[in-house]
Amino acid sequence: MSPEEIGLPEEAEHRLAELRGQGGQAGIFTSDLSVNEFLLVKEAGFDPVGLVVGSSIYHIGFQAPRWGQSQEMTNLSQAMYHARELAMSRMEAEAEDLGADGVVGVRLDINFYEFGQHSAEFIAIGTAVKGRQGSARNAAGKPFTSDLSGQDFWTLVQSGYLPLGLVMGTCVYHVGRRSLSGWLGSLGQNQELPNFTQGLYQARELAMARMQAEATEHQAQGIVGVQLKEESHLWGSHTIEFFAVGTAVRPLGEEHEIARPQMVLDLGG
Amino acid sequence: MLAERALDRLAQGADRSAEHREFTSDLSVEELVAVEAAGLEPRGLVGGSCVFRVGWQFVGWTEAREVDTLSTAMYESRERAMKRLVQEAARCGADGVVGVRLTIAFDNWGEGLGEFSAIGTAVRHRDRPGSLRTPTGDIFTSHLSGQDVWALLRTGYRPLGLVMGCCVYHYPAQGLSQWFGAVTQNQELQGLTRAFYSARELAMDRMQREALQLGSEGVVGVTVEEESHVWGGHTLEFLALGTAVRSTPAPPAPPTRMVRRVDV
Repeated sequence: MSPEEIGLPEEAEHRLAELRGQGGQAGIFTSDLSVNEFLLVKEAGFDPVGLVVGSSIYHIGFQAPRWGQSQEMTNLSQAMYHARELAMSRMEAEAEDLGADGVVGVRLDINFYEFGQHSAEFIAIGTAVKGRQGSARNAAGKPFTSDLSGQDFWTLVQSGYLPLGLVMGTCVYHVGRRSLSGWLGSLGQNQELPNFTQGLYQARELAMARMQAEATEHQAQGIVGVQLKEESHLWGSHTIEFFAVGTAVRPLGEEHEIARPQMVLDLGG
Repeated sequence: MLAERALDRLAQGADRSAEHREFTSDLSVEELVAVEAAGLEPRGLVGGSCVFRVGWQFVGWTEAREVDTLSTAMYESRERAMKRLVQEAARCGADGVVGVRLTIAFDNWGEGLGEFSAIGTAVRHRDRPGSLRTPTGDIFTSHLSGQDVWALLRTGYRPLGLVMGCCVYHYPAQGLSQWFGAVTQNQELQGLTRAFYSARELAMDRMQREALQLGSEGVVGVTVEEESHVWGGHTLEFLALGTAVRSTPAPPAPPTRMVRRVDV
Protein backbone atom coordinates (compact mmCIF):
# COMPACT_ATOMS: atom_id res chain seq x y z
CA MET A 1 0.00 0.00 0.00
CA SER A 2 1.52 3.30 -0.98
CA PRO A 3 0.73 6.61 0.68
CA GLU A 4 -0.34 7.94 -2.69
CA GLU A 5 -3.49 5.86 -2.37
CA ILE A 6 -4.82 8.49 -0.01
CA GLY A 7 -2.89 11.48 -1.23
CA LEU A 8 -3.07 14.80 0.53
CA PRO A 9 -6.61 15.90 1.35
CA GLU A 10 -8.04 18.91 -0.47
CA GLU A 11 -7.85 20.97 2.70
CA ALA A 12 -4.10 20.37 2.85
CA GLU A 13 -3.57 21.39 -0.78
CA HIS A 14 -5.51 24.54 -0.07
CA ARG A 15 -3.58 25.42 3.04
CA LEU A 16 -0.23 24.77 1.37
CA ALA A 17 -1.21 26.94 -1.59
CA GLU A 18 -1.96 29.77 0.83
CA LEU A 19 1.40 29.29 2.53
CA ARG A 20 3.19 29.56 -0.81
CA GLY A 21 1.16 32.65 -1.71
CA GLN A 22 -1.26 32.68 -4.59
CA GLY A 23 -2.86 35.09 -7.01
CA GLY A 24 -0.19 37.75 -6.50
CA GLN A 25 -0.67 37.60 -2.74
CA ALA A 26 2.38 37.15 -0.60
CA GLY A 27 2.72 33.89 1.25
CA ILE A 28 3.09 33.40 4.95
CA PHE A 29 4.95 30.95 7.15
CA THR A 30 3.73 28.97 10.11
CA SER A 31 5.90 27.14 12.56
CA ASP A 32 5.56 25.17 15.75
CA LEU A 33 9.07 26.13 16.75
CA SER A 34 9.44 28.16 19.92
CA VAL A 35 10.68 31.72 19.39
CA ASN A 36 14.23 30.79 20.33
CA GLU A 37 14.22 27.82 17.98
CA PHE A 38 12.72 29.94 15.21
CA LEU A 39 15.45 32.58 15.58
CA LEU A 40 18.22 29.99 15.71
CA VAL A 41 16.96 28.21 12.59
CA LYS A 42 17.05 31.58 10.83
CA GLU A 43 20.52 32.22 12.22
CA ALA A 44 21.60 28.87 10.78
CA GLY A 45 20.68 30.14 7.31
CA PHE A 46 17.26 28.59 6.92
CA ASP A 47 13.81 30.19 6.67
CA PRO A 48 10.77 28.43 8.09
CA VAL A 49 8.16 28.05 5.35
CA GLY A 50 5.32 26.18 6.97
CA LEU A 51 4.00 23.72 9.49
CA VAL A 52 3.72 20.31 7.84
CA VAL A 53 1.81 17.34 9.13
CA GLY A 54 1.04 13.77 8.17
CA SER A 55 -1.24 11.29 9.80
CA SER A 56 -2.42 7.73 9.55
CA ILE A 57 -5.08 5.95 11.54
CA TYR A 58 -4.04 2.35 11.58
CA HIS A 59 -5.60 -0.86 12.70
CA ILE A 60 -2.98 -3.06 14.26
CA GLY A 61 -3.84 -6.69 13.72
CA PHE A 62 -3.86 -8.88 16.77
CA GLN A 63 -1.23 -11.51 17.22
CA ALA A 64 -1.53 -14.06 19.99
CA PRO A 65 1.78 -14.59 21.78
CA ARG A 66 2.91 -17.99 22.97
CA TRP A 67 2.93 -18.06 26.73
CA GLY A 68 6.44 -19.24 27.37
CA GLN A 69 8.23 -18.21 24.25
CA SER A 70 10.29 -15.09 23.71
CA GLN A 71 9.92 -13.94 20.16
CA GLU A 72 9.43 -10.94 17.98
CA MET A 73 5.80 -10.20 17.09
CA THR A 74 6.60 -9.55 13.46
CA ASN A 75 3.04 -8.66 12.59
CA LEU A 76 2.99 -5.92 15.22
CA SER A 77 6.49 -4.70 14.34
CA GLN A 78 5.44 -4.28 10.74
CA ALA A 79 2.25 -2.45 11.69
CA MET A 80 4.01 0.03 13.98
CA TYR A 81 6.63 0.69 11.35
CA HIS A 82 4.29 0.99 8.39
CA ALA A 83 1.88 3.35 10.18
CA ARG A 84 4.70 5.72 11.16
CA GLU A 85 6.12 5.48 7.67
CA LEU A 86 2.75 6.50 6.18
CA ALA A 87 2.47 9.52 8.49
CA MET A 88 6.08 10.53 7.74
CA SER A 89 5.70 10.19 3.98
CA ARG A 90 2.60 12.41 3.99
CA MET A 91 4.41 15.01 6.02
CA GLU A 92 7.28 14.81 3.54
CA ALA A 93 4.81 15.18 0.67
CA GLU A 94 3.57 18.41 2.25
CA ALA A 95 7.15 19.64 2.58
CA GLU A 96 7.81 18.74 -1.04
CA ASP A 97 4.70 20.67 -2.02
CA LEU A 98 6.11 23.76 -0.29
CA GLY A 99 9.42 23.35 -2.09
CA ALA A 100 11.17 22.97 1.26
CA ASP A 101 14.72 21.73 1.76
CA GLY A 102 13.86 19.92 4.93
CA VAL A 103 11.72 19.53 8.03
CA VAL A 104 13.07 20.28 11.50
CA GLY A 105 11.68 19.53 14.94
CA VAL A 106 9.73 16.50 13.74
CA ARG A 107 7.61 14.88 16.41
CA LEU A 108 6.16 11.40 16.03
CA ASP A 109 3.16 10.88 18.24
CA ILE A 110 0.67 8.08 18.74
CA ASN A 111 -2.84 8.97 19.89
CA PHE A 112 -5.45 6.50 21.02
CA TYR A 113 -9.03 7.66 20.63
CA GLU A 114 -12.29 5.88 21.15
CA PHE A 115 -12.23 4.00 17.92
CA GLY A 116 -11.27 0.66 19.28
CA GLN A 117 -8.33 -0.57 21.26
CA HIS A 118 -6.46 -1.98 18.31
CA SER A 119 -6.37 1.28 16.39
CA ALA A 120 -4.36 4.42 16.86
CA GLU A 121 -3.55 7.61 15.05
CA PHE A 122 0.10 8.03 14.12
CA ILE A 123 1.07 11.66 13.58
CA ALA A 124 4.20 13.28 12.23
CA ILE A 125 4.44 17.05 12.59
CA GLY A 126 7.28 19.52 12.06
CA THR A 127 8.36 22.80 10.52
CA ALA A 128 9.43 22.83 6.87
CA VAL A 129 12.45 25.03 6.20
CA LYS A 130 14.22 26.35 3.14
CA GLY A 131 17.93 27.14 2.93
CA ARG A 132 18.98 30.65 1.94
CA GLN A 133 22.20 29.40 0.37
CA GLY A 134 21.34 26.74 -2.13
CA SER A 135 19.55 23.49 -1.66
CA ALA A 136 20.17 21.46 1.44
CA ARG A 137 18.17 18.45 0.30
CA ASN A 138 19.47 14.99 1.02
CA ALA A 139 21.32 12.61 -1.26
CA ALA A 140 18.08 11.31 -2.78
CA GLY A 141 17.06 14.86 -3.72
CA LYS A 142 14.26 14.87 -1.15
CA PRO A 143 13.70 17.25 1.78
CA PHE A 144 15.64 16.11 4.83
CA THR A 145 13.79 15.35 8.04
CA SER A 146 15.07 15.66 11.56
CA ASP A 147 13.74 15.46 15.09
CA LEU A 148 16.39 17.83 16.40
CA SER A 149 15.26 20.99 18.18
CA GLY A 150 16.04 24.40 16.67
CA GLN A 151 18.93 24.77 19.12
CA ASP A 152 20.43 21.42 18.16
CA PHE A 153 19.90 22.10 14.47
CA TRP A 154 21.81 25.38 14.78
CA THR A 155 24.66 23.67 16.63
CA LEU A 156 24.79 20.90 14.04
CA VAL A 157 24.93 23.28 11.08
CA GLN A 158 27.46 25.51 12.89
CA SER A 159 29.85 22.61 13.28
CA GLY A 160 29.59 21.57 9.66
CA TYR A 161 26.92 18.90 9.41
CA LEU A 162 23.56 18.65 7.73
CA PRO A 163 20.72 16.29 8.58
CA LEU A 164 19.76 13.68 5.97
CA GLY A 165 16.70 12.11 7.45
CA LEU A 166 14.89 10.89 10.49
CA VAL A 167 15.75 7.22 10.80
CA MET A 168 13.89 4.70 12.88
CA GLY A 169 13.69 1.07 13.73
CA THR A 170 11.14 -0.81 15.72
CA CYS A 171 10.73 -4.22 17.20
CA VAL A 172 7.70 -5.48 19.10
CA TYR A 173 8.81 -8.31 21.29
CA HIS A 174 7.02 -10.77 23.47
CA VAL A 175 9.08 -11.80 26.45
CA GLY A 176 8.07 -15.32 27.39
CA ARG A 177 6.82 -15.93 30.89
CA ARG A 178 8.73 -18.27 33.12
CA SER A 179 7.64 -21.79 33.86
CA LEU A 180 6.29 -22.55 37.30
CA SER A 181 9.30 -24.63 38.26
CA GLY A 182 11.63 -21.88 37.12
CA TRP A 183 9.70 -19.38 39.18
CA LEU A 184 9.72 -21.59 42.26
CA GLY A 185 13.38 -22.37 41.84
CA SER A 186 14.39 -18.76 42.03
CA LEU A 187 12.10 -17.75 44.90
CA GLY A 188 13.97 -15.76 47.50
CA GLN A 189 17.21 -15.71 45.54
CA ASN A 190 19.00 -12.78 44.02
CA GLN A 191 19.88 -13.88 40.54
CA GLU A 192 19.76 -12.86 36.95
CA LEU A 193 16.86 -14.09 34.86
CA PRO A 194 18.68 -14.97 31.69
CA ASN A 195 15.69 -15.46 29.40
CA PHE A 196 14.29 -12.03 30.29
CA THR A 197 17.66 -10.38 29.88
CA GLN A 198 18.22 -12.07 26.58
CA GLY A 199 14.77 -11.24 25.24
CA LEU A 200 15.01 -7.55 26.03
CA TYR A 201 18.59 -7.41 24.83
CA GLN A 202 17.73 -8.96 21.49
CA ALA A 203 14.68 -6.77 20.90
CA ARG A 204 16.63 -3.60 21.57
CA GLU A 205 19.43 -4.70 19.26
CA LEU A 206 16.96 -5.47 16.48
CA ALA A 207 15.37 -2.02 16.75
CA MET A 208 18.76 -0.30 16.67
CA ALA A 209 20.03 -2.43 13.79
CA ARG A 210 16.99 -1.51 11.71
CA MET A 211 17.51 2.16 12.44
CA GLN A 212 21.15 1.81 11.43
CA ALA A 213 20.16 0.11 8.18
CA GLU A 214 18.02 3.14 7.32
CA ALA A 215 20.98 5.42 7.98
CA THR A 216 23.16 3.31 5.71
CA GLU A 217 20.56 3.70 2.98
CA HIS A 218 20.84 7.47 3.41
CA GLN A 219 24.63 7.16 3.05
CA ALA A 220 24.94 8.91 6.37
CA GLN A 221 28.11 9.39 8.30
CA GLY A 222 26.29 8.78 11.54
CA ILE A 223 23.18 9.20 13.62
CA VAL A 224 22.80 11.82 16.33
CA GLY A 225 20.27 12.31 19.08
CA VAL A 226 19.16 8.70 19.17
CA GLN A 227 16.35 7.95 21.55
CA LEU A 228 15.44 4.46 22.58
CA LYS A 229 11.89 4.12 23.80
CA GLU A 230 10.14 1.18 25.33
CA GLU A 231 6.39 1.09 25.46
CA SER A 232 3.74 -1.57 25.94
CA HIS A 233 0.99 0.57 24.43
CA LEU A 234 -2.15 -1.51 24.90
CA TRP A 235 -0.67 -4.97 24.72
CA GLY A 236 -0.19 -5.85 28.36
CA SER A 237 2.99 -6.31 30.32
CA HIS A 238 4.98 -8.91 28.38
CA THR A 239 4.69 -7.40 24.92
CA ILE A 240 6.90 -4.38 24.45
CA GLU A 241 7.75 -2.14 21.53
CA PHE A 242 11.37 -1.08 21.32
CA PHE A 243 11.58 2.01 19.17
CA ALA A 244 14.84 3.61 18.14
CA VAL A 245 14.77 6.98 16.42
CA GLY A 246 17.45 9.53 15.54
CA THR A 247 18.70 11.92 12.88
CA ALA A 248 21.13 10.67 10.22
CA VAL A 249 23.71 13.33 9.35
CA ARG A 250 26.33 14.00 6.72
CA PRO A 251 29.36 16.25 6.98
CA LEU A 252 29.56 19.37 4.80
CA GLY A 253 33.35 19.22 4.69
CA GLU A 254 36.38 17.83 6.41
CA GLU A 255 36.65 20.59 8.98
CA HIS A 256 34.48 20.70 12.04
CA GLU A 257 35.01 23.79 14.12
CA ILE A 258 33.12 24.02 17.33
CA ALA A 259 33.10 27.24 19.29
CA ARG A 260 34.93 26.98 22.58
CA PRO A 261 32.43 26.36 25.37
CA GLN A 262 32.07 29.16 27.88
CA MET A 263 31.19 29.09 31.53
CA VAL A 264 27.86 30.68 32.30
CA LEU A 265 26.40 31.22 35.73
CA ASP A 266 22.68 30.65 35.64
CA LEU A 267 20.76 32.80 38.11
CA GLY A 268 17.47 31.24 37.25
CA GLY A 269 17.18 28.79 40.14
CA MET B 1 -19.48 46.13 28.00
CA LEU B 2 -16.93 45.65 30.73
CA ALA B 3 -18.15 45.19 34.28
CA GLU B 4 -18.08 48.32 36.44
CA ARG B 5 -15.71 46.69 38.89
CA ALA B 6 -13.36 45.97 36.04
CA LEU B 7 -13.44 49.61 34.98
CA ASP B 8 -12.66 50.71 38.53
CA ARG B 9 -9.78 48.31 38.82
CA LEU B 10 -8.31 49.25 35.49
CA ALA B 11 -8.74 53.00 36.08
CA GLN B 12 -6.58 52.73 39.18
CA GLY B 13 -3.84 51.30 37.06
CA ALA B 14 -4.14 53.87 34.29
CA ASP B 15 -4.01 56.93 36.56
CA ARG B 16 -0.80 56.21 38.27
CA SER B 17 2.02 58.62 37.74
CA ALA B 18 5.62 57.77 37.03
CA GLU B 19 6.57 57.94 40.69
CA HIS B 20 3.70 55.83 41.82
CA ARG B 21 3.98 52.73 39.73
CA GLU B 22 1.99 49.75 40.72
CA PHE B 23 0.77 47.00 38.56
CA THR B 24 -0.58 43.50 38.74
CA SER B 25 0.70 40.81 36.45
CA ASP B 26 0.85 37.06 36.19
CA LEU B 27 4.35 37.21 34.79
CA SER B 28 6.99 35.19 36.57
CA VAL B 29 9.98 37.13 37.89
CA GLU B 30 12.11 36.05 34.95
CA GLU B 31 9.44 37.14 32.50
CA LEU B 32 9.10 40.50 34.20
CA VAL B 33 12.83 41.08 33.90
CA ALA B 34 12.76 40.09 30.23
CA VAL B 35 9.77 42.29 29.46
CA GLU B 36 11.41 45.28 31.12
CA ALA B 37 14.67 44.61 29.31
CA ALA B 38 12.71 44.78 26.07
CA GLY B 39 11.66 48.32 26.98
CA LEU B 40 8.14 47.40 28.02
CA GLU B 41 6.36 48.06 31.28
CA PRO B 42 3.55 45.91 32.62
CA ARG B 43 0.28 47.82 33.03
CA GLY B 44 -1.92 45.26 34.65
CA LEU B 45 -3.46 41.84 34.57
CA VAL B 46 -6.26 41.79 32.04
CA GLY B 47 -8.84 39.17 31.24
CA GLY B 48 -12.04 38.46 29.45
CA SER B 49 -14.53 35.67 29.66
CA CYS B 50 -17.62 34.38 28.00
CA VAL B 51 -20.07 31.67 29.04
CA PHE B 52 -21.36 29.87 26.00
CA ARG B 53 -23.52 26.87 25.31
CA VAL B 54 -21.64 24.34 23.27
CA GLY B 55 -23.74 21.25 23.89
CA TRP B 56 -24.83 19.12 20.97
CA GLN B 57 -26.84 16.02 20.23
CA PHE B 58 -25.60 13.71 17.55
CA VAL B 59 -28.52 11.75 16.28
CA GLY B 60 -28.52 9.73 13.12
CA TRP B 61 -25.23 10.93 11.76
CA THR B 62 -23.72 8.18 9.69
CA GLU B 63 -20.71 9.82 8.18
CA ALA B 64 -17.68 11.62 9.49
CA ARG B 65 -18.00 15.35 8.99
CA GLU B 66 -17.46 18.75 10.49
CA VAL B 67 -20.01 20.03 13.00
CA ASP B 68 -20.22 23.57 11.65
CA THR B 69 -22.32 24.98 14.47
CA LEU B 70 -19.88 23.73 17.08
CA SER B 71 -16.85 24.95 15.17
CA THR B 72 -18.45 28.38 15.05
CA ALA B 73 -19.49 28.30 18.71
CA MET B 74 -16.04 27.28 19.93
CA TYR B 75 -14.42 29.97 17.84
CA GLU B 76 -16.93 32.69 18.64
CA SER B 77 -16.74 32.21 22.40
CA ARG B 78 -12.96 32.38 22.44
CA GLU B 79 -13.10 35.40 20.17
CA ARG B 80 -15.47 37.20 22.56
CA ALA B 81 -13.27 36.46 25.56
CA MET B 82 -10.29 37.82 23.59
CA LYS B 83 -12.20 40.95 22.61
CA ARG B 84 -12.98 41.72 26.24
CA LEU B 85 -9.38 41.14 27.20
CA VAL B 86 -8.34 43.67 24.56
CA GLN B 87 -10.94 46.16 25.80
CA GLU B 88 -9.51 45.85 29.30
CA ALA B 89 -6.02 46.34 27.91
CA ALA B 90 -7.16 49.49 26.10
CA ARG B 91 -8.44 50.82 29.43
CA CYS B 92 -4.97 50.62 30.91
CA GLY B 93 -3.44 52.36 27.95
CA ALA B 94 -1.55 49.27 26.84
CA ASP B 95 0.22 48.55 23.56
CA GLY B 96 -0.36 44.87 23.82
CA VAL B 97 -0.98 41.82 25.95
CA VAL B 98 1.63 39.11 26.46
CA GLY B 99 1.40 35.61 27.91
CA VAL B 100 -2.25 35.21 26.89
CA ARG B 101 -3.75 31.92 28.00
CA LEU B 102 -7.05 30.59 26.72
CA THR B 103 -8.90 28.14 28.94
CA ILE B 104 -12.30 26.49 29.04
CA ALA B 105 -14.05 25.38 32.22
CA PHE B 106 -17.06 23.11 31.87
CA ASP B 107 -17.69 22.37 35.56
CA ASN B 108 -20.53 23.83 37.54
CA TRP B 109 -22.24 25.45 34.64
CA GLY B 110 -24.76 22.88 33.57
CA GLU B 111 -25.23 20.85 30.47
CA GLY B 112 -23.03 21.97 27.63
CA LEU B 113 -22.19 25.31 29.20
CA GLY B 114 -18.57 26.32 29.22
CA GLU B 115 -16.74 29.36 30.49
CA PHE B 116 -14.17 30.51 27.99
CA SER B 117 -11.56 32.79 29.46
CA ALA B 118 -8.55 34.68 28.21
CA ILE B 119 -6.03 36.14 30.62
CA GLY B 120 -2.71 37.89 30.18
CA THR B 121 -0.56 40.85 31.16
CA ALA B 122 -1.05 44.21 29.47
CA VAL B 123 2.22 45.94 28.56
CA ARG B 124 3.21 49.32 27.12
CA HIS B 125 6.37 50.65 25.57
CA ARG B 126 8.13 52.64 28.26
CA ASP B 127 9.66 55.41 26.15
CA ARG B 128 7.39 55.49 23.13
CA PRO B 129 3.90 54.46 24.24
CA GLY B 130 1.82 53.28 21.34
CA SER B 131 4.82 52.32 19.22
CA LEU B 132 4.15 48.61 19.54
CA ARG B 133 0.56 48.74 18.44
CA THR B 134 -0.26 46.95 15.20
CA PRO B 135 -0.07 48.83 11.88
CA THR B 136 -3.83 49.42 12.16
CA GLY B 137 -3.37 50.96 15.62
CA ASP B 138 -4.78 47.99 17.49
CA ILE B 139 -3.52 46.35 20.62
CA PHE B 140 -1.40 43.28 19.92
CA THR B 141 -1.98 40.00 21.71
CA SER B 142 0.35 37.07 22.04
CA HIS B 143 0.50 33.71 23.76
CA LEU B 144 4.27 34.02 24.00
CA SER B 145 6.08 34.39 27.32
CA GLY B 146 7.95 37.52 28.37
CA GLN B 147 11.26 35.95 27.39
CA ASP B 148 9.94 35.05 23.94
CA VAL B 149 8.62 38.57 23.33
CA TRP B 150 12.00 39.95 24.37
CA ALA B 151 13.77 37.61 21.93
CA LEU B 152 11.38 38.57 19.11
CA LEU B 153 11.80 42.30 19.63
CA ARG B 154 15.60 41.98 19.89
CA THR B 155 15.82 40.34 16.51
CA GLY B 156 13.59 42.71 14.62
CA TYR B 157 10.18 41.08 14.88
CA ARG B 158 7.03 42.26 16.55
CA PRO B 159 3.97 40.33 17.61
CA LEU B 160 0.74 41.27 15.85
CA GLY B 161 -1.86 39.05 17.38
CA LEU B 162 -2.81 35.70 18.77
CA VAL B 163 -4.30 33.75 15.90
CA MET B 164 -6.34 30.58 16.09
CA GLY B 165 -8.46 28.25 14.07
CA CYS B 166 -10.65 25.41 15.20
CA CYS B 167 -12.63 22.62 13.65
CA VAL B 168 -15.02 20.30 15.45
CA TYR B 169 -15.35 16.94 13.76
CA HIS B 170 -17.73 14.10 14.45
CA TYR B 171 -17.23 10.51 13.46
CA PRO B 172 -20.18 8.18 14.01
CA ALA B 173 -20.08 5.23 16.35
CA GLN B 174 -22.23 2.86 14.38
CA GLY B 175 -20.05 3.14 11.32
CA LEU B 176 -17.18 1.76 13.32
CA SER B 177 -18.40 -1.80 13.19
CA GLN B 178 -18.25 -1.60 9.42
CA TRP B 179 -14.78 -0.17 9.57
CA PHE B 180 -13.52 -2.71 12.04
CA GLY B 181 -15.82 -5.66 11.52
CA ALA B 182 -13.70 -7.90 9.40
CA VAL B 183 -10.40 -6.36 10.31
CA THR B 184 -7.97 -8.73 11.89
CA GLN B 185 -5.13 -7.61 9.66
CA ASN B 186 -2.78 -4.70 9.76
CA GLN B 187 -4.27 -1.97 7.69
CA GLU B 188 -4.82 1.71 7.50
CA LEU B 189 -8.33 2.99 8.17
CA GLN B 190 -8.44 5.30 5.22
CA GLY B 191 -11.82 6.88 5.85
CA LEU B 192 -10.94 7.85 9.40
CA THR B 193 -7.47 8.97 8.40
CA ARG B 194 -8.88 11.28 5.80
CA ALA B 195 -11.43 12.70 8.26
CA PHE B 196 -8.85 13.47 10.94
CA TYR B 197 -6.38 14.77 8.41
CA SER B 198 -8.96 17.14 6.92
CA ALA B 199 -10.09 18.38 10.32
CA ARG B 200 -6.55 19.21 11.40
CA GLU B 201 -5.77 20.91 8.11
CA LEU B 202 -8.95 23.00 8.35
CA ALA B 203 -8.02 24.22 11.83
CA MET B 204 -4.50 25.12 10.66
CA ASP B 205 -5.85 26.81 7.56
CA ARG B 206 -8.25 28.99 9.54
CA MET B 207 -5.47 30.06 11.84
CA GLN B 208 -3.36 30.88 8.82
CA ARG B 209 -6.11 33.01 7.32
CA GLU B 210 -6.37 35.07 10.50
CA ALA B 211 -2.66 35.70 10.28
CA LEU B 212 -2.95 36.77 6.64
CA GLN B 213 -5.73 39.18 7.55
CA LEU B 214 -3.49 40.77 10.16
CA GLY B 215 -0.92 41.40 7.45
CA SER B 216 1.64 39.22 9.17
CA GLU B 217 4.64 37.46 7.69
CA GLY B 218 4.21 34.32 9.69
CA VAL B 219 3.05 32.52 12.79
CA VAL B 220 5.41 31.25 15.47
CA GLY B 221 4.96 28.91 18.42
CA VAL B 222 2.04 27.09 16.83
CA THR B 223 0.37 24.32 18.79
CA VAL B 224 -2.16 21.89 17.32
CA GLU B 225 -4.27 20.06 19.86
CA GLU B 226 -7.24 17.70 19.94
CA GLU B 227 -9.84 17.64 22.69
CA SER B 228 -13.28 16.09 22.96
CA HIS B 229 -14.45 18.41 25.79
CA VAL B 230 -17.98 17.41 26.85
CA TRP B 231 -19.07 15.67 23.68
CA GLY B 232 -17.93 12.14 24.36
CA GLY B 233 -15.21 10.38 22.44
CA HIS B 234 -16.64 10.55 18.96
CA THR B 235 -16.48 14.29 18.58
CA LEU B 236 -13.18 16.10 18.63
CA GLU B 237 -12.11 19.71 18.44
CA PHE B 238 -8.88 20.41 16.59
CA LEU B 239 -7.42 23.72 17.69
CA ALA B 240 -4.45 25.45 16.09
CA LEU B 241 -3.08 28.47 17.91
CA GLY B 242 -0.04 30.71 17.51
CA THR B 243 1.27 34.27 17.47
CA ALA B 244 1.36 36.16 14.18
CA VAL B 245 4.52 38.23 13.72
CA ARG B 246 6.08 40.61 11.22
CA SER B 247 9.48 42.14 10.93
CA THR B 248 9.89 45.73 12.04
CA PRO B 249 10.78 48.42 9.49
CA ALA B 250 13.70 49.54 11.66
CA PRO B 251 16.91 47.54 11.23
CA PRO B 252 17.07 44.74 13.76
CA ALA B 253 19.18 45.09 16.85
CA PRO B 254 22.52 43.33 16.76
CA PRO B 255 21.97 39.64 17.34
CA THR B 256 22.28 38.46 20.88
CA ARG B 257 25.34 36.52 21.75
CA MET B 258 24.38 32.91 21.76
CA VAL B 259 25.63 30.91 24.64
CA ARG B 260 25.21 27.23 24.93
CA ARG B 261 24.57 26.36 28.50
CA VAL B 262 25.80 23.17 30.03
CA ASP B 263 23.89 22.27 33.15
CA VAL B 264 25.97 20.54 35.75
